[in-house]
Amino acid sequence: MAPPRGEVLQGTLDLIVLKTLEALGPLHGYGIAQRIQQVSEDLLQLNQGTLYPALLRLEQRGWISSKWGSSENNRKAKYYSLTRTGRKQLLAETESWERMTALMSRLLGGAEGA
Amino acid sequence: MKWLRTFTSRLYGFFSKQRIERDLDSEVQSHLGMLIAEKIRRGMTPEAARHAAMREFGGAEQTKEEYREQRGLPLVDGLLQDVRFAVRMLFKRPGFTLIAVGTLALGIGANTAIFTVVHSVLLQQLPFSKADRLAIVWSVYGNEGRAPASGPELMTIRERSRLFEDLGGIWAQSGALTGESEPEQVKLGMVTANFLGILGTNPQLGRLFLSSEEGPGGPFVAILSDGLWRRRYGADPHMIGRAVRLNGQPTTIVGVMPPGFKIIFPEGSSVPPEMDAFVPFRSQLASDPPDQSYLRVIGRLHDAVTVPQAQNELETIAAHLRSKYTTFVDPPLGLQVVPLQGDLVRNIRPALLALFGGAGLVLLIACANVANLLLSRANERTREITLRAAMGAGRGRLIRQLLTESVLLFCCGGAAAISFGWGALQLLLALQPKEMERLSGIQMNAPVFAFTFAVAIGGGLLFGLAPALGAGKLDLAKSLKEARQTSSLASRRHRNLLVSAEVALGFILLIGAGLMLQTFAKLLQVDPGFAPANVLTFRVSVPWEKYNTSASALLFLRTLKENLGGIPGVEAVGITSHLPFDDTLPNWYSFYWPEGAPKEQQNVIMADHRSILPGYFKSMGVTLLAGRDFDDHDVAENLKLAITDDTVAQEAWPGQDAVGKLINIENGNFVRDTAQVVGVVKHLQYHALTNQVRGQIYLLYPHAVRTHMAVTLKSRRNAQTLLPLIRQQVAALDKDLPIYHVELMTEYVESARQQTRFVTLLAGVMAGIALLLACTGIYAVTTYSVVQRTSELGIRTALGAQSRELFALVLRQSMLPVALGISIGFVLSLLLTPLLSTLLFGVRPTDALTYVAGAFLLSAAALIASVLPARRTMRVDPMVALRYE
Repeated sequence: MAPPRGEVLQGTLDLIVLKTLEALGPLHGYGIAQRIQQVSEDLLQLNQGTLYPALLRLEQRGWISSKWGSSENNRKAKYYSLTRTGRKQLLAETESWERMTALMSRLLGGAEGA
Repeated sequence: MKWLRTFTSRLYGFFSKQRIERDLDSEVQSHLGMLIAEKIRRGMTPEAARHAAMREFGGAEQTKEEYREQRGLPLVDGLLQDVRFAVRMLFKRPGFTLIAVGTLALGIGANTAIFTVVHSVLLQQLPFSKADRLAIVWSVYGNEGRAPASGPELMTIRERSRLFEDLGGIWAQSGALTGESEPEQVKLGMVTANFLGILGTNPQLGRLFLSSEEGPGGPFVAILSDGLWRRRYGADPHMIGRAVRLNGQPTTIVGVMPPGFKIIFPEGSSVPPEMDAFVPFRSQLASDPPDQSYLRVIGRLHDAVTVPQAQNELETIAAHLRSKYTTFVDPPLGLQVVPLQGDLVRNIRPALLALFGGAGLVLLIACANVANLLLSRANERTREITLRAAMGAGRGRLIRQLLTESVLLFCCGGAAAISFGWGALQLLLALQPKEMERLSGIQMNAPVFAFTFAVAIGGGLLFGLAPALGAGKLDLAKSLKEARQTSSLASRRHRNLLVSAEVALGFILLIGAGLMLQTFAKLLQVDPGFAPANVLTFRVSVPWEKYNTSASALLFLRTLKENLGGIPGVEAVGITSHLPFDDTLPNWYSFYWPEGAPKEQQNVIMADHRSILPGYFKSMGVTLLAGRDFDDHDVAENLKLAITDDTVAQEAWPGQDAVGKLINIENGNFVRDTAQVVGVVKHLQYHALTNQVRGQIYLLYPHAVRTHMAVTLKSRRNAQTLLPLIRQQVAALDKDLPIYHVELMTEYVESARQQTRFVTLLAGVMAGIALLLACTGIYAVTTYSVVQRTSELGIRTALGAQSRELFALVLRQSMLPVALGISIGFVLSLLLTPLLSTLLFGVRPTDALTYVAGAFLLSAAALIASVLPARRTMRVDPMVALRYE
């Protein structure tokens, strides 16, 4: 029996994608989806398709850029990479996320957060 | 700036949909491919791997749709969709579209045409550099508020003013060019050396005048207009430095003004716009006699100086002038500064604004008609709209759709209005009054197009709103159930309200046009004090290099008069210094008083002074009221005599006989002198048909020698046929003498009526359009209501109502809003027409006859427009009507 899988929290997908790109460098959509599932050990329920509107949004804001290239198996794929403003954004969002989780844990009386 | 980046990215997405779509497609395909490959690698069958991958990806189409919405500009996409749909709807009902667009083209087009004129004449800058800094300075004596200045006045103002950058003066004269080719009379601007520089226009060749070229003993120099340079000198590129013979004097050309250069001075200032050449004054202006007023003064204000500030300063200067010169004490001299642009349009502005207001009313009527069409249309479309609402279209989306349709309709109207307005503008320009002629360059330009489309879009939103909101409020269940929509009471009330509004607005226009028509009729009846029929006039200037004494000049003019009188068919010949309604030469007016009047009664009243030879009154058909006309004996004896008009006789000797009295006047040398009154003639309207400006005093030519004279020639038949004989006679006397300004006296009188004719004609056209539109509206509403009520009328017939009763019922219901509209229009007209009073003459704004006639005309037209459709009721067959459901 698999443990119950959590929904992706509104607004966290962006942060997750940015962090993934920071950790692994340029990556295609499939790679990002695989990585998220791998790290979350399948605890996160992600419709892989929803990744694409998120990628578009990040690209429109200038946080990531994209380029066509070919994958390890010579398949044509679009590679996304973090831009400099994206790196700054990641830093800022990580900080605010940490503040938020710290606040939440304190509010919930040291109980383990979600 | 984040939003900007997002926006540009979205904009890019909007315009490169297909490429992005392909990109996304291959990206999704690539993702799925890798997923499937992975699953197969883990041992799944290709079929199972495929399904699992699809599941995991979570709906490719959904992703794409979400992606699309985020990619482009969904608002614009929706708008484009609305527009496409609206275009289809308009094409589906070509009759409706054509009528609506035609109506709007009339309504908006009238505004486009008038706005083009308003924009060019009232709003656009004059073609001078920083034209808003230019101002005219008038001298004020008593009730004479726009008098020219004398040399000492101009020089004192220039010397003492700190707020004017510079001030200069011009005096329009005429000069004769002789030498190289045939002699030519030219309009000559005598100017201060700085005058052209103040206007800020640079010459195309050479230079402007130097200050050393003004004053006594200066060199003979001139600047030519582009027109004269081309016409007479074939655009000679080596014109600068060339000497021409101007007024018998070898004169060196130092500059040529650029094409299109005009001296734009207000009407009545005796400065014609098209000057042929300019020469600097040869006198010491500062030491001119202070009572010789002939300079038209223009100044350039320093930046940031306001007109009231300049006015304050001028009042101090006027006080200084009064203390320095006794001439300016009684009546006290005042100075008035007015912006050039405002002064130029002061006469035409009320007329243009009234016409603009009228065009606005026409537009409102046109919009009311279209709103009416849209309302009926919305009623017919209730089912369609209900269906769309039931299928899930939101209220906002429906309103947006309907608004898009009405705005599109109005924009089509606007586009048609531009071509209609262009045609109307050509008509306006063909009829333009003199004041508009002074300002060239009336044309449709970007602001005019912007205005037209702003009106169209604004109208579309405003008048599309009611039907759109109505549609937004639909009760779905009820509307779907209704087999066929019958007009609700509310929508009938809307329609009647629109009819009332149209009729009220139309009534105002009818009254305005009626008042103008009466004014014009009154103008036609005005007796100008002379009989212009069959009087030919032309100007001639006595060439001083040949006739350099007043005796020789007199002999020349008398011989000319005698020779012209010998032409068969000529009844009388007159010679005068000034013609009625002729603004090309400076007017001559001065103070007068009965000889021996106490000091405080001198210098109080002014009169126009004219220099004539015997025969002028006869040729012009002027009535002699008392005493006698001048005769040849008076001329031969060189007697100092005067003939006054009834105005002067009344002012100077009220209740007494003027004949035999002595009068103090200004003679031809601008010197006070005494003359004996031998006769009194009827007043002549010299300046305007509608108001008497000043009285007139006629002096004999030897007593008042002038250079520029006019000949009036009364003939038995069409005077124009005599022209070749006249030219022959003049040439026989002096082959070098040019005659110019050949015009019929009737043409001068016509020009005095031009503005009223212009306004009357336009007001008439607008009232006509308004009447037509209002009747169309009434006709449409009545027709619609009869059709809507076919079944009701059928039932009434079946229950025994006579068709005549039904006819009366329909008629009554259709005429009720008309009566309401006329009453409202009546009240509004009473409130609004006083605004027209400056344009009216001989008729009060509340003229009862006009109001009654207007009400009658409008009621009659409305009656016809409702009787036609109401007659359908007579033909209602109850069986057909009941089955109509």
